Amino acid sequence: MGPGTGPEPVVSMEGIVKVYRDGTVALRGVDFSVLPGEIHGLLGENGAGKTTLMRILYGELRPTSGRVLVGGREASPRGPWEALESGIGMVHQHFTLIPVFTVMENLSMVIPGGSLSRIGDPAVREKAEEIMGELGLPVPLDARVEDLPVGIRQRVEILKALMRDVRVLILDEPTSVLTPLEVRELFSLLGRLRERGVTVIFISHKLREVMGITDRVTVLRRGRVVGTVRTGDVTESDLARMMVGREVEMEIERRPPSPGGVLLSVEGLWVRGEEGGWAVRGVDLEVRSGEVLGVAGVAGNGQRELVEAITGLRRADRGRVLIAGREMTNSPPRELYRAGLAHVPEDRQGVGLIMDFSVAENSVLGIHDGPPFSGRWVMRWDTVRERAAEIVRRFSVVVPGLDAPARHLSGGNQQKLIVGREIMKGGKVIVADQPTHGLDVAATEYIRRLLLEERDRGAAVLLVSTDLDEILQISDRVVVMYEGRIVGGGRPEELTEERLGLLMGGAAG
Amino acid sequence: MGVEVATLTSTALRAMVPLTLAAVGEVITERSGVVNIGLEGIMLMSALGAAYVSYFSGSPYLGVLAGVAVGVAVGLVHGAVSVHLRGDQIVAGVGVNILAYGVAVVTLMRVWNSYGQSPWVPKVPRIPAGPLGEISWFFPLTLAVAAASWYYLFRTKGGLRLRAAGEDPAAAEAMGVNVFRVRFLATVIGAALSGLAGAYMSVDYVGQFTKQMTAGRGFIALANVVFSNWNPLVAVGGGLIFGFFDGLATYLEIVMRSPAMGFLLKTIPYAATLAIVSAAVGRVRPPAAVGRPYSRE
Repeated sequence: MGPGTGPEPVVSMEGIVKVYRDGTVALRGVDFSVLPGEIHGLLGENGAGKTTLMRILYGELRPTSGRVLVGGREASPRGPWEALESGIGMVHQHFTLIPVFTVMENLSMVIPGGSLSRIGDPAVREKAEEIMGELGLPVPLDARVEDLPVGIRQRVEILKALMRDVRVLILDEPTSVLTPLEVRELFSLLGRLRERGVTVIFISHKLREVMGITDRVTVLRRGRVVGTVRTGDVTESDLARMMVGREVEMEIERRPPSPGGVLLSVEGLWVRGEEGGWAVRGVDLEVRSGEVLGVAGVAGNGQRELVEAITGLRRADRGRVLIAGREMTNSPPRELYRAGLAHVPEDRQGVGLIMDFSVAENSVLGIHDGPPFSGRWVMRWDTVRERAAEIVRRFSVVVPGLDAPARHLSGGNQQKLIVGREIMKGGKVIVADQPTHGLDVAATEYIRRLLLEERDRGAAVLLVSTDLDEILQISDRVVVMYEGRIVGGGRPEELTEERLGLLMGGAAG
Repeated sequence: MGVEVATLTSTALRAMVPLTLAAVGEVITERSGVVNIGLEGIMLMSALGAAYVSYFSGSPYLGVLAGVAVGVAVGLVHGAVSVHLRGDQIVAGVGVNILAYGVAVVTLMRVWNSYGQSPWVPKVPRIPAGPLGEISWFFPLTLAVAAASWYYLFRTKGGLRLRAAGEDPAAAEAMGVNVFRVRFLATVIGAALSGLAGAYMSVDYVGQFTKQMTAGRGFIALANVVFSNWNPLVAVGGGLIFGFFDGLATYLEIVMRSPAMGFLLKTIPYAATLAIVSAAVGRVRPPAAVGRPYSRE
């Protein structure tokens, strides 16, 4: 089908570039278009730019450059209200409902009308009931949203978008919060929407779902479009390869591992997530002295909760965590540190550092309250400063001064400070969660080397990362998490990227 | 005794007006997600502006307008700082309170060459109201403002959007609410009502401006906001209760005629405020995003 002969795209985006204020480049020139009445999959790993692209289409973000065309006319929306006006609706992964409002009140929010017009307009209710009836989408209209289960809240979200007669409905990872039954219901609903001529953009990293429901798929990787294909023309493996890809990698020399005794073991761990459902469903892990165990997976499959449960930041409901053979399940972080745990958290600014504290203060966080850094009553600042100076020297942290607030350090140096602090604790077990996320090449390589050095020193390293290159580069063994379970794994040299892509997409047992 | 009850009641009613007006305004502001603790300062500057214009124009009505205008002006600044510049709302509010005191003292000196008070200024005429004697037309106005605010917040589309901005601005924006505009306007309207309350103090309640005439009423109004559980109608009740203690203090002072006791009696409204708010906290639910600046990305 050549240009000019096919149907006009309902929406097209041309040369979209997005650079965030902190310098992160999310999109590097993306062209994307959808045809009327299709279900279009937007597939990619975390950080590929899927959500950023769609938030630009929905007017929540402004592109740094590039333009958006709706129905052939330039219409870069300045806000969601303009996107809704032009017939584009979006259902976010994190719901955008006001919990203390009733369903009706939430629905009324999107109905245009003067600010003095009364809420509870019977026409709005009639319209909601009509849509619910036509699409088989029952929702209790007078219940408060905060009292509804997640699956129903999502229906409210979809209903809310349909109240505005949208022609294009964007769904961001809609199945991540649903049970399998709810997923089936959602898919049949999407099919009925397509019959009514609504174009659906379906953001996902789950291959099987994309294969099952979409007409065409656009694959994004690191802010670029890898390609747009007809779903019928490709296999899951093709998509997996497109999604994961392979880029030129840095070489890090790795000595053969010499695993010793088990230092960290996790047995049958069950942990609840933020929403109250199970985020970790019976995970077993063992990490030996002198080895790196890599936990791969797309973000949001329970890795965060797993790490938090191991490091004492979240309660484990069932199962055990043992450090060097000692049962430490649900111990407070301070005791875990004393038992030899070091933690490089995912959220380095929120959990790893206190941004307004100085480099010196940050360099002893977690061990600040005992000798040699603190006496009975007062801090020993000279010892603290000595330690800070040592970290700065040994780990080449570039700082304006030991008294400068951590806020003034670059991202890479913040991370080096954290990693340095944790390594200086001389722990037996190092849990590193996304240790190089967002860092430049040099800092990334340096931190990976440090983790390997710690392994060679005899530490057990648990590396959790959504970056497959990182996992394959420094892990001695790899496991993949999907929906709270470990679904497979092996030695990095035995695992093809295709196999990993399938595991991460939940498409291989 | 009947006379005394009537006196106490009318005193309470008069004291209720500024506490309610300022509280209703702040309920609107906080429901949108912005805190303005500068009510005290706005009231003081508006009282001054109203007295000034009433004195020089001879019209108390123009004075009331001037008071509202001062409130709007401060609201514009606080709105710009809190909403668009994402500044610290508490610091901005404290700044207004401190500024107000300075403005009051300097203006008194420059205009009337006085350290503490202005001369008498034309007052808004009263309306007759049977057994209560004469009441201020601010009294029905206050009730009307509270009722209208309640209706707007809880029965109209605009109110729904405003409350959404104060509960979850990101979600509100995703639902098409212009959070910045809503919060900015709510801040200006809230400050305007504080301005009205200030104007009442000088050109109705008292009939002159004194440099400490608001005497913490802006803060009591903040307490009333919490007491009301962010509901303008309940804020009327709160205004009556807090106003009653205010009236009681004045009344007892007159009855007891003891200067020594006078100081102690003056603490009644504040002590009562503390007690009432302590009891209310834990039973009320503030807007979830109140005081948190909103920014995209």
